[in-house]
Amino acid sequence: MQIQLNHLMPIPLQDKLRQRTSDIWNQDVTFQPGNFVKIKAPSGTGKTTLIHYLYHIRYDYTGKVQVNGQPWQAYNKNEIAIMRQQQISIIFQDLRLFEQLSARENITLKRVMEPKPYYPPEKIDEMAARLNVSHVLEQSGKTLSYGERQRIAIIRALVQPFQWLLMDEPFSHLDEENTQRAAALIADECRARNAGFILTDLDNDQHFPYDVHYHL
Amino acid sequence: MRPFFELLKKIIQTGVGKTRFLMAAVGLGIAMLLILIAIQAHSNFSQLLYSHKNQNETADFLVLNKTITNAMMGQSGKSMFSPEEIETIKKQPFVQAFGLVTSSQYKVVIQAPGELHFATDMFFEAVPDSFLDVKAEDWKWSNGDRTIPIILPNDFLNLYNFGFSLSQDLPQISQETVKALPLQVNISNNQVSEQYMGHIVGFSDRISSFLVPASFMAWANEKYGITAAPGTSRVIIKTPDPSNPDLVKFLADNGYTTNQDKLKFSKTRMIVQTIVSVVGFFGLILLFFALLVFSMFIQLVIASCKREIQLLVILGTAPRQLQRYLLRQFVPLYIIIGVLSLILVTGLQYWAATALAQHQMEVSTLPGVPVLAGIALVLGLVYIVNVLTVRKYVNNI
Repeated sequence: MQIQLNHLMPIPLQDKLRQRTSDIWNQDVTFQPGNFVKIKAPSGTGKTTLIHYLYHIRYDYTGKVQVNGQPWQAYNKNEIAIMRQQQISIIFQDLRLFEQLSARENITLKRVMEPKPYYPPEKIDEMAARLNVSHVLEQSGKTLSYGERQRIAIIRALVQPFQWLLMDEPFSHLDEENTQRAAALIADECRARNAGFILTDLDNDQHFPYDVHYHL
Repeated sequence: MRPFFELLKKIIQTGVGKTRFLMAAVGLGIAMLLILIAIQAHSNFSQLLYSHKNQNETADFLVLNKTITNAMMGQSGKSMFSPEEIETIKKQPFVQAFGLVTSSQYKVVIQAPGELHFATDMFFEAVPDSFLDVKAEDWKWSNGDRTIPIILPNDFLNLYNFGFSLSQDLPQISQETVKALPLQVNISNNQVSEQYMGHIVGFSDRISSFLVPASFMAWANEKYGITAAPGTSRVIIKTPDPSNPDLVKFLADNGYTTNQDKLKFSKTRMIVQTIVSVVGFFGLILLFFALLVFSMFIQLVIASCKREIQLLVILGTAPRQLQRYLLRQFVPLYIIIGVLSLILVTGLQYWAATALAQHQMEVSTLPGVPVLAGIALVLGLVYIVNVLTVRKYVNNI
């Protein structure tokens, strides 16, 4: 799955962004399949906006986001849903867990959304153990700390098949040790699928062996 | 799909406004029941009317004439049927056979023989032989015969026996005696008068007139006719079902009358049909409102879970999956309602069949195909409305 940007410009940030140079905004960019992509961005330069454009849940832009050679708008809702189940996964900055479900149910929801799950249920326990969240799996989403929620959101993004993983400040609530564990798990899962990722963050980091760096 | 729907159950609460939903379900049940009862009552009624088990020779003969109004009095031409009117009557679907009633154009006087001292002015009429059920050997006349077979109306003998003879101190006469009486028939016009023998061969309830064979009538009108042949003022039709509302309407629309007694059943039938239609109509109205409430309920469920549904879609749930899940919450209830209504109607029909059987009226003990078709139709309609509502609101999220 190939993702291409053609002169992408967020309408609300247009004036501000024209005054500075960017590797992404208003450029032609192609993300090569399987690449580990880091996008470094200061606050307020549209980091989350970009992730939402790439995932097609915000549409207030000029230019194009092309997926497999077609703009997002060319796909209907059911086709987009299938792509989100099989080709593109996401870790939101605001995590977006269901509070009425337990941590395990939040992960399972994504695992069984596809009629033929990619991983068996035991995989959840395995991943939870790697991220030190085994003990919270049965807790309701409401009672989890931000750090725990973030790790659950990471596991949720990894129990489905994907070719691209979008991450918006995925380690913002984690300490150094847990960040290392999470990054290792993500890297393992991406390699297992030959998948690439696009990660946005505020600073430089050494969590992954990045193939490409962009400045937003 | 199962485990996913289990989780959806925790996210999309269909519990909101459950009472409303149950009330709509009850409404749907009642609507379905009313519609099914209307359908079944209609088919029972047609069974009573048309099935062979219940048929006691419903085909009937009706003599039609125009209603004489005050405005028409004295102008006999106005009571005649024009050739166009006759053609129209012949063309009606409920007319199986059609015949003209020919009246005599000469004077007739009948005298009883011997001591009876009975003489009366009379007239004759004739209808095609196929409208009569008298044996052929009695009912024929050929040129030169001096004896004329005659059919009397039953009412005529009754009037004589129970009205006239008692008050005049005359003997009452049986049908057999009347048939044995040699009557003297004087036929005359202004120039000639001739005598014939009259022989009563039968009595008729069907046609209230003094009938002679059509062959005699033609011959006698030719021979003794005073006036030019007048038009037809009475016609006879054979109809399979005198209670047919179309027939009654046709008569009323054209100002024709006939023996009202024979049409009486038609009134009952119209009343029953009206009641059945009203019941069915209320069923339909109720169905409409049930559908409305269902749609609103679905809308409410979707609106109350809007944020959850949005997140589900963002995470990759297909609108198709959501539609299937939501329908799966409602459809089983509809099927239960359908089955319950069918059971109830079956019970009612069994009871009705048993009750009617005691009056020698047979209807089937089980609801027929129309009822099953009705259930399928109503459920199909409910399902389609649900699918459309769900699709509309899920896609709008």
